[in-house]
This record gives sequence, C-alpha cells and structure tokens, in this order.
Amino acid sequence: MRVVVDHSLCEGNGRCVEAAPGIFELRDDDLSYVIEEQPPQSLRAKVDLAVSLCPRQAIRIIED
Amino acid sequence: MAALTLDTIDIVNPDLYVQRGYPHAEWALLRREAPIHYYQRPDVDPFWAITRHADIVNVSRQPGLFRSIQQLFITVNEPDSPPPDEAILRQLLNMNPPEHAAFRGVVNRRFTPRSVQQLTAGIERITTEVLDAIVGHDECDFVTAVSATLPLAVIAEMFGIPRADWPLMFRLSNEMIGPTDPEYAGSETVTETLERARMEFFQYFNGLVEDRRKNPRDDLSSALANGLVNGEPLPIFELMSYFALLIIAGNETTRNATTGGLHAFISNPDQWEKLKRDPALVPKAVEEIVRWTSPVIQFTRKATADTELGGHKIREGDILTLFYPSANRDESIFAAPNQFDITRHPNQHIAFGIGEHFCLGANLARLELQVMFRHLVERLESVELAGPVQRMRSSFVGGIKHMPVRLRVRPRQ
Repeated sequence: MRVVVDHSLCEGNGRCVEAAPGIFELRDDDLSYVIEEQPPQSLRAKVDLAVSLCPRQAIRIIED
Repeated sequence: MAALTLDTIDIVNPDLYVQRGYPHAEWALLRREAPIHYYQRPDVDPFWAITRHADIVNVSRQPGLFRSIQQLFITVNEPDSPPPDEAILRQLLNMNPPEHAAFRGVVNRRFTPRSVQQLTAGIERITTEVLDAIVGHDECDFVTAVSATLPLAVIAEMFGIPRADWPLMFRLSNEMIGPTDPEYAGSETVTETLERARMEFFQYFNGLVEDRRKNPRDDLSSALANGLVNGEPLPIFELMSYFALLIIAGNETTRNATTGGLHAFISNPDQWEKLKRDPALVPKAVEEIVRWTSPVIQFTRKATADTELGGHKIREGDILTLFYPSANRDESIFAAPNQFDITRHPNQHIAFGIGEHFCLGANLARLELQVMFRHLVERLESVELAGPVQRMRSSFVGGIKHMPVRLRVRPRQ
C-alpha cells in the first residue's frame, strides 16, 4: 500500500500523528507529511485508524 | 413510564430538552430498531433521523450528495419563527464545496494545533482569574461564573474585542442561539429576537472591520476584514456572518461542555477522584467530556439526488438529520456507552463532526477544556449541586443556562 496526504484538504489537526506516529509527522508549515510512504502491511491497522480519524478526509491509501 | 414506541417518541421538541435533557432512551430505541427512520409528526417537517455512528460518518463524508442547507436543525414549527429556508447568517455551516473550503481557508490556519498552542499562556491566565474570582464564595452559578467566562474571554481576545464589550457578545450569542428560550427572547418573537440580535452584532462587527482595514493588527478581526476569497474581499453579509459564527461557536459549545463535564464529575465522584489522583488523565478526560456532553445536538443535510442509505430509498430533496449525541452512545462503537469513563481509549466520538464541516475550533475547545479541568482538579476542594440545572429551550445546542453549585475553591498557590 501507498499512503498519501492531500495538502489541499489537510489542516494539520494531527490526529494521524497520534494514530500512526511513525508514518505521519506535522511539519513547520502546519501540514501532515507521510514519512513512511510504503508502510508494511503489519502497520495496516494504524494507517486505517489514521484514515478514519482524519476529520478532513485528507488521507488516502493506494493499494499496490 | 409507558414503553417507548417509534411512532410516538419525541426527539425534536425543545420543551423536552428543557424538562428532561437529551432523549437518550429514545435515541437508543432508534439505533436498535430504526437507525434510519423517517420521522413524521403533525408539527414537524418530516425528516430522516440518522442515529448510528457509522451512518452519520457515511453521510458526513459525502458533502456533494448530502448538502448543508440554510435550515441548520429541525425543531417543532412554532408561530413567529422565520421561514426555514431563510438564512439568518450566511456562513460556513450552510456552505458547500467548493465555496466552503475557500471561505474556511480565510482563518483555518489560526485554529491548527500549533497556532492554538500559542494561546496557552493566555488561556492559563484567564482560567486563573476566573477561579480566583470565586475563592471564598460558598455558592455560585457555575455557568455564569466559570463555564461561560473562559471561552468568551478567549474568543473575544482572539478578535481583539475590548473587555467592556464582552457582556454584549455574551448576550447576543445567547439570543442568536436560544431565540426560542423565554429567558433570552423576553417579550419578542423568535424572528424579532434573531433579527434584532443580528443587527446589533452586525453594527458592532462593522465597526471592527472599519477599524482593522485602517489599522490592521494580528487578530481574527483583521484576518477577516482583510481576508480574500478567490482573490476578492469577503462580501459584506458573508463577512458579518463569519464574525457572528466564530463568536457564537467559540463560546456556546465549550461553555456547555465545561458545565456538562463538571456535572458528570458530580454525578460520578469516583471519576473525579481518579482524575485527582492522576491529573495526566486530563486529555483523555476531556475527550470523554466532549463525547458525554456532545453539545451540538444535530445538523441537517439535504439529499441532492435519489439514493439509498441502509436499505432505505432516500429521495432528492429529502432532509436528513444527524444526531451526534446518539452516535456518541452507539453500542457498536463504544463499550459501556452510558458510562462516563475518563480513561476511555480510543475515543472515536464525533461530537466535533467529521469530514468537510469538522469543527474549525476543535483544537481550541480541547485546549480550553484541558486547561480548565487541570485547574479545577487542582483547586476545587469540594463541589455539589445546590439546585437543579436549568437547560436552554433548544433542540439544536444542548445548553445549560444555570447550574447552582456549593463549592470551595482553594486560593492560588
């Protein structure tokens, strides 16, 4: 899987960082960035949680 | 009490909210037997009542198919109310993509976790002052003395509104959100109250706009007065409405979460003791307070095409109503949903909504509540109810107007 944050939607609420700290981080421009673009399947539950917690629906998973 | 039935339950009459608070038993029946229920009563325009967490998320995530409309919530039809399709304000809550995001973009960077974090010192200072003012008092109205003061002061300072004008903002917010409550409407009709309060608000905001266009500062008033949407200044009605939205939303809901939160602790003393023993639980406790109180009762949507939802045929033009407090007691999401549990984790409540219209002020509300309850748990030596709570007559916002308490607040250390 590949994880993408749409920066036209992201507001830096940071829920994704709480849900999956190794995969997302908030940077100085107040937006969330994917630091682990192709996380292993073992982290699927965390990524799914991040997707479901994002209040702005800014995170997408693209299946391989 | 007679058994509840789908055909006779009442979930939108504002008198019910005054007398009994939230209709949790009714919502539980709906979730169990008719989670997508066509609600028809003689004095109510018919609508689909959506009561399960998953369905509310699903509808919220399709803002194209289920659009936000002028009529923000459903209530019983009362004489002298404005027509439901008349916009009292034109603001984010009744805008849709792509216009909504363009307007939201004018101020949303001022509400990110990072921006809000910079307000911490100010919020700490105001909270300290608020509690200092009731040291030595045996009794007070917790709402006017504590819950209302902090969020109002914070949003007013963000706007650069001088302290002398805060009572005006408080009165006008109450009148705009509770025009059907006799305490706020006085002898006026609902329409008269709304229109007069709106005019007073607009006159006041217009003064702010004129000043900040000449002398911009680093405040929300300046950001709005000089803000651009698609390269153009905001049209005047939308600009005035934006001020009103942020002032009202910035003080009504957090006020009610604070009051409802303390009420929950008074009713669950074991949870209060737990928080006293471990103040590091405050962030989790605040999420639980927000879930438990769910200050916004409902928002409507309108279907833009024939569609299907959970096996029901929804027709173009049908109104749907999303009941957030019901979603936040959904048995399929929360273990023991009717227990107030400050250690609940994860806490996937949707009291702030979800999707396009997710509460712009959620980070601010969280911070205010965290600071307030951190101070309360440190300084409140005892507290109990000194009389019944008085609820606002509204099926839109679950307001507690007054909560008399006997309490002892420790002086500052």
